[in-house]
Amino acid sequence: MEASDRSALVSEDGKNSKSVQCGRCGSTVLSAGAAQFAERQLFLPSMQKKTSLGGAGHKGDGDGDLLTDHWLVEDMYTFENVGFTKDVGNIKYLICADCEIGPIGWHCLEDKKSFYVALDRVKHV
Amino acid sequence: MDEDVLTTLKILIIGESGVGKSSLLLRFTDDTFDPELAATIGVDFKVKTISVDGNKAKLAIWDTAGQERFRTLTPSYYRGAQGVILVYDVTRRDTFAKLDNWLNELETYCTRNDLVKMLVGNKIDKENREMDRNEGLKFARKHSMLFIEASAKTCDGVQCAFEELVEKIIQTPGLWESETSSRGVRLTDQEAGRSGGSCGGYCSLV
Repeated sequence: MEASDRSALVSEDGKNSKSVQCGRCGSTVLSAGAAQFAERQLFLPSMQKKTSLGGAGHKGDGDGDLLTDHWLVEDMYTFENVGFTKDVGNIKYLICADCEIGPIGWHCLEDKKSFYVALDRVKHV
Repeated sequence: MDEDVLTTLKILIIGESGVGKSSLLLRFTDDTFDPELAATIGVDFKVKTISVDGNKAKLAIWDTAGQERFRTLTPSYYRGAQGVILVYDVTRRDTFAKLDNWLNELETYCTRNDLVKMLVGNKIDKENREMDRNEGLKFARKHSMLFIEASAKTCDGVQCAFEELVEKIIQTPGLWESETSSRGVRLTDQEAGRSGGSCGGYCSLV
């Protein structure tokens, strides 16, 4: 992501200056100011319907993106609306609660205080 | 977390396989509505924010996600739930007949007896209806449940159902007051077995 794009989305204290919404249906995922900007390289499978999530092939064939820019929250109740997939290994992917498109984010069961939403997988309004 | 969030609540959606439990949780627009929504696999639970009387409540909503087919619902699934939505399919009488089993299971595993229950007769947009609305209403009344009929295409009704359920839970203070101090990721291990105070009354939203 370009630095200029990022400064439009990240406030001075590192929070999301705009609300985070589902790119498809507009469901609000995070209110403005609710999450912290965090950089961490995470692999997210390509956006697709939930029926394909966790299905054959997504692990090995690299069909997805390595994403670095995320919104990070510590408590799942910080989300306005979000869905969690069933476990894929020790990962739960985050999806839109209303239309179930995803993954829009990532949660590792070994770190109960970290929920990541990829900036590239959502829109900012 | 927002200052104005009143409480967090655990809500379960139960009922026989294929009655449309998961679809109650979807927002339907033409491009997302999938009438063959057999693929309940995938989603574990959802966090949703709902506004009731100007207060925000955050709901953790658990769908059985097909496990009911194998009868593998565990006590932990039920533990700590404050609200339950029981769903049957108005075009399949057998799904209505199974409601007693579900109520028994609730009674066995739920750690509270003041749980708020709502009955949803689903798929009313279909033509081959087998269940009369009054049968649902009567059953709901007998078991002190809220009642609506709904279809995947009447998402407004479903939204109302959630609001009504939450309102009812909020009016039952013992169900949520003790939770406000320990709000967090943990959705289990809440205090067990309150006595008395079961919710009476039913209402019809349609």
